[in-house]
Amino acid sequence: MTAFKFSKLTFWRVVVTIIFAAGLYATLVRFAQGLGASTNLSDPFPWGLWVGLNTLCGVGLSAGGFAIAAAVYILGLERYRPVLRAAVLTAFLGYISVVVGLLFELGLPWRIWHPILLWNRRSVLFEVAWCLMLYTTVLALEFSPAVFERLRWHRLRDWHARWHRRILIPLVLVGVLLSSLHQSLLGGLYLITKGKLYPLWYSSQLPAFFFLSAIAAGLALVVMALYLCARSLRFRLDFAILHEVSRVIVLLLIFYALFRGLDLISRGSWEYLWKSRAETGWFWLEISLFLILPLVLLSAQRVRGSVLGLYWSCALVVMGFMANRLNVAVNALQASAGAYYFPKWTEMAISLAVITAAVVAFYYAALHLEIFPRRVPPPPPEAEWRWVAAFGLPQHQRGTLR
Amino acid sequence: MKTQAKAILVDITRCIGCHSCERACKQVHNLPEESEPVLSGTALTVVQESQGRFVRRLCMHCQDPACASACPVGALQKTSLGPVIYAADRCIGCRYCMLACPFQVPRYEWDHLAPYVKKCNMCAERIARGETPVCVEACPVGATQFGDRAEILAEARRRIDENSTYVPRIYGAEEVGGTSVFFLSDVPFEKLGFVTPPSEQPMPILTSTALSDIPTVVVAGTALLAALYWITQRRQEVALAEAQESQPLARSQELVSGWQKKGVKS
Repeated sequence: MTAFKFSKLTFWRVVVTIIFAAGLYATLVRFAQGLGASTNLSDPFPWGLWVGLNTLCGVGLSAGGFAIAAAVYILGLERYRPVLRAAVLTAFLGYISVVVGLLFELGLPWRIWHPILLWNRRSVLFEVAWCLMLYTTVLALEFSPAVFERLRWHRLRDWHARWHRRILIPLVLVGVLLSSLHQSLLGGLYLITKGKLYPLWYSSQLPAFFFLSAIAAGLALVVMALYLCARSLRFRLDFAILHEVSRVIVLLLIFYALFRGLDLISRGSWEYLWKSRAETGWFWLEISLFLILPLVLLSAQRVRGSVLGLYWSCALVVMGFMANRLNVAVNALQASAGAYYFPKWTEMAISLAVITAAVVAFYYAALHLEIFPRRVPPPPPEAEWRWVAAFGLPQHQRGTLR
Repeated sequence: MKTQAKAILVDITRCIGCHSCERACKQVHNLPEESEPVLSGTALTVVQESQGRFVRRLCMHCQDPACASACPVGALQKTSLGPVIYAADRCIGCRYCMLACPFQVPRYEWDHLAPYVKKCNMCAERIARGETPVCVEACPVGATQFGDRAEILAEARRRIDENSTYVPRIYGAEEVGGTSVFFLSDVPFEKLGFVTPPSEQPMPILTSTALSDIPTVVVAGTALLAALYWITQRRQEVALAEAQESQPLARSQELVSGWQKKGVKS
């Protein structure tokens, strides 16, 4: 046993502490004074930042988990196995953050369990609630080996390993279905806002758009998480994996761009592309971040071939994705609501604190659990340059985690 | 007595702006008495002045309400007598009903620590007893009337036919598949601030098509994933067999030990 030591005061520790302190205070305001005092939500604008950022982005950016799980277990693409646990962990933490966010968002959070007993099969939100409950459970089970294998109670550990092996494939299969439904149904939530949601975003194809964009952004977030972990935790990661994931992202983005463009034309909404309105600006910001910039960047060999280039392209995809969800949840509803909405600082503080908590949890999980493979097979000689290109670490430092 | 669907008719040409309906509503629902300019958690109906006319706002009580289809826990229900009612004990406070309503009617008790949705319930408990809603009873000039939905609609048509000053449109008869509250006016409805709903189809149709796809997606998705998994497994088996033929021991042991780690049956 080592003696307790105070952690070193680093820049990021200070930032995280400030975010948590602000979040804690905002939490007090939220639960002591209610939604009116802690948000700028109003009768014409009942859904705001929490729905846009915590729910829509939180679920969407978790899509990497089911995509990589399907690649490894269903398609047998073994080369993705080294990043599997990291992807499942981002998804699991993403979903937990969504549930926590809901406790702030709901007016009566102690009734969050109501959809289990009180059903309305006609409601999209009802189906969304069930997908959220079931898929969070699936993710917990998918991730459980990382926790159970660390246990010292051998019998429990072995019992868990035995059961997990039996249910793993059905579990992954159910998970892929549930999360696909969940992603698309979040878009489906906005189908009923016809006449309210600005025509650049409203489409009967919203579920498909939400599904496609979530996979692209979820994979982009996995690339970001892998790069950041590889950098700060110094474990070895084959750059080829990131490169291949980025190719999948590019394909998804091209498909999404074509689909969305054709949809705009077929609905006759293309004329809205040039109107001098605030929505036009939001739309082009979203499109540049999510589609134009990443596609241009990733088409350049120099960007594609460098880890930093990949990282920033993926960061743009994630930012563009968030712009899209915030546009749907906030900006595209502003005009029809006839009310201006800009989140209160308490809303922002709580959103930020929940996201930061997920990031911190990821960091500590990566430190203490086996998220990344400790023993990586030695890279073939011709790929040797990749390690250097990737992290520029000298040979003796390119060790394993811990 | 036959239980027929009821409806309310508001004739804007007759309203004198006395706010009696507001006061009666607040009294019967135990709400603070002062008059409010817009609908709120404490004002379930209001009379607004617009274009020199007095326009009452209240829940439209749609025949197939968006709010009732949106609510995940079924707290909002359309009753056979006409009113769309709210079961506060089911509500979780998600406010999706507010987003879904094409008329922007449901309000929220933003300042409460246990906030609920507030909207006109057409005095459902009075209607069930065979009485009329209090706002109708309170109106001194008969601007708001109440009766069987079919008769009320016929009455509205009769007024339009007999008097050419009316706009030839019964607001609520066609909108979102029909409502249980109708308006008559001599000024175009758009000018009075009435929203034009997206279609004459009930709003829930917008989501029901997406929801009806779910079983197909689940069945087709399961079949596809299972097929892909089977192919993957089969290819691994074939690879193992081939390896055993060409390199009887070394190669196959390597493969088997590799797969045992992953939990694949050899």
